[in-house]
Amino acid sequence: MWVKDLLDVTGKELRSILSDVGVLVFFIIVPVLYPLLYAYLYGREVVREVPVVVVDECRSATSREFLRKCDATPDLRIISYCSDMEEARNLIHRHKAYGLIHIPSEFENTLVQGLQSTVNLYCDMSGLLYYKALLSGCTMVSLDMNRDIQMVRLSGLSDREKDVMTMPIENEYVTMFNPVNGFQAFLIPAILILVLQQTLILGVSMLAGTEAERRRSGQLILGHEYDNPITVLGGKALAYLLVYGFTATYVLCFVPWLFHMPQLWQLPTLVAFVVPFLLASIFFAICISFFVRDRESCFLLFVFVSVPLIFMSGISWPTSNMPAFWKVLAQFFPSTHGVNGFARINTSGALLQDVRMESLSLWILTGIYFMLSLFIYERMYRSDKMPGVEFVLAMRTRARKNLREMSRDIKSRLKK
Amino acid sequence: MQSRPLYGLSMIFAPLFCFVFFTTLMGEGLPESLPAGVVDEDNTSVSRSILRNLDSYQQTEIIKQYPDFAHAREAMQRNEIYGFFYIPKGTQEKASSQQQPKISIYTNGTYLIPSSLLYRDMKTMAVMASAAVGREILLAKGANMDQAMGFLQPIKMDMRPLGNPWLNYNVYLTNTILPAVLALMILMVTCFSIHTELKDNTAREWISMANDNILKAVSAKLFPQTMTFVLMALIYLVLLYGWLGFPHNNGFLPMFVAAVLLILASQGFAVFIASAIPSLRWSLSLCTLWGVLSIPISGFSFPVMGMPDALQALSYLFPLRYYFLIYVDQALNGIPLYYSAWFYVALLAFTIMPLVDIHLLRKAAHEYTYLP
Repeated sequence: MWVKDLLDVTGKELRSILSDVGVLVFFIIVPVLYPLLYAYLYGREVVREVPVVVVDECRSATSREFLRKCDATPDLRIISYCSDMEEARNLIHRHKAYGLIHIPSEFENTLVQGLQSTVNLYCDMSGLLYYKALLSGCTMVSLDMNRDIQMVRLSGLSDREKDVMTMPIENEYVTMFNPVNGFQAFLIPAILILVLQQTLILGVSMLAGTEAERRRSGQLILGHEYDNPITVLGGKALAYLLVYGFTATYVLCFVPWLFHMPQLWQLPTLVAFVVPFLLASIFFAICISFFVRDRESCFLLFVFVSVPLIFMSGISWPTSNMPAFWKVLAQFFPSTHGVNGFARINTSGALLQDVRMESLSLWILTGIYFMLSLFIYERMYRSDKMPGVEFVLAMRTRARKNLREMSRDIKSRLKK
Repeated sequence: MQSRPLYGLSMIFAPLFCFVFFTTLMGEGLPESLPAGVVDEDNTSVSRSILRNLDSYQQTEIIKQYPDFAHAREAMQRNEIYGFFYIPKGTQEKASSQQQPKISIYTNGTYLIPSSLLYRDMKTMAVMASAAVGREILLAKGANMDQAMGFLQPIKMDMRPLGNPWLNYNVYLTNTILPAVLALMILMVTCFSIHTELKDNTAREWISMANDNILKAVSAKLFPQTMTFVLMALIYLVLLYGWLGFPHNNGFLPMFVAAVLLILASQGFAVFIASAIPSLRWSLSLCTLWGVLSIPISGFSFPVMGMPDALQALSYLFPLRYYFLIYVDQALNGIPLYYSAWFYVALLAFTIMPLVDIHLLRKAAHEYTYLP
């Protein structure tokens, strides 16, 4: 009965997961804590009150009004009024300020003449968010003051006429799905998906590494008594799926809820999308776990991959502008489709038909990696790495003998 | 000492792959021709001229017109476009009868970078469309161009991004991501290689080779790794500052010294952890966590000043943070070395951290038993 065999394997695999602290760290502890850490890190979404310095060579009522209003914006905070550029530069070099507002001496005169006056902004480019804060803060103030200046010049007209003169066509801006245009709502969905895939890879590899170590030392391996490799593979996958049913619910539903992030998903869509994602990740993990030869090498092999993978998903640098080669390579990782699909289902309320390309790709990847891991399993069965029952029995006797020798050895050492 | 392919993969292949990946991925520097859409319900000469102008911007490419708002929104949810322009019916009519119509810009905030870039182009376009109408009215009333601009935009902003005037994302990100990946590999490999000696029961032999001097044993073991990593660092430094010509305003040397110190600091930190925690898995886990966490916490993409206070304090414990500060001073801004001196000292401090607890490693080597 293959169903009984399958469930049997599942049970054994679950037991070996639960009895292995190292694997539990990857399957439970990392997925529980890591997203919290990241969500906390990006919790403030944007930078506010970026410290800037000021060199005001004009020293007029208008220049002071401009600076006062800059200081009052949520984006900027003036930390010092410097007497010259040298002093201001020194503060920037010492990382006390990230921007400089320079108002030239002819600032007010030019305005009074009815011509265009310029304010110079210098920005430290160590972070693009400083640039954004300085530019948007000062632009907001200048738009506001421009309107006031125009109003004065247009005195004699009605308010409505002034509005039309100053802004014949109005415009408004809506960042859909990410109201404050912040880091958390944009980056966290990608990190959540990546955490699921990477912890699966690491945990499954650690299990495989343990098996490989045991095999080398002549101990038992799971799956020897079943003559059909498909039951072993299916049973293991089912065990991982059961564990990740819980992990994924926590990571994808609970964490965004806890941090009040946008959550526009509809349950049928989310489930119909996450299941193929988990399946693809599981078989992908099983496939590459064959390369692992001991428990701890999974760290060295797979952790760093997260960094390129998050960029391959196109959540940061747009997919439309990637070189073709990387675009093609990215298709082979479940995370690429997972991130794109989940980000849109969760953050922009997409339905299953809107993410059908991603969903289809995940089913295809599931198929590919399932066949591939089955193929490798099959070969391992034929080779002496995963032997038939008689051979295993012989190995078992040898393992017992090894164990006895080891304990005798330890005892003799202790006596010394 | 090491003949396993694992070390070659993690010390040479992994960093090299990331060097090539990141520098080519963002080869454009600033994304161009981002796909955007249009909903033109007005369909008049004014709306068409707005769209034509928008399409001529380098970073925006109008790929499709949608019949109504719902279609455009769905296209955004399918990820076909990153944003769209909405011009409602009657825009021209209202503008010419001076009723102040409103046009709207929508971008998909799920994808922050393309969304922000599209916004910049679209906003400029909207303001310019408005200014064009206003300018026509003023010129018709007899003002000259200077007077018209002086009226329409009395105060103008002149933005000067220091060090990276092109707003190049490749400069902005790879300068820190490449050393970050290298540092991550160093932390893991160092910890792994020391603890593998313990796991494989070769530690006693290894330490006795160095006359039972643990410091000597560790340095001798790690020296070939140091050399390999220095070679890797040289490769990425030449790639960034030689081949790609990224800003290195104080020359090559300050960054090379910083990279070497980052390598030593990462090794020092890893030895410190490996000695303090006598378990392969736990010390390796901690080193990995440190390496991965150093990427966001170094503050190169999301500034440290925007993080919660506890994490701001924590950022001082990551070698990469100091490397990033040195890079900002020495490569990007090119200010005197004096300003960065303490950051170099901090990296040195990480290097000598093992002096505190390395005796524990010696003890562990003699009494250790591997627990899976």
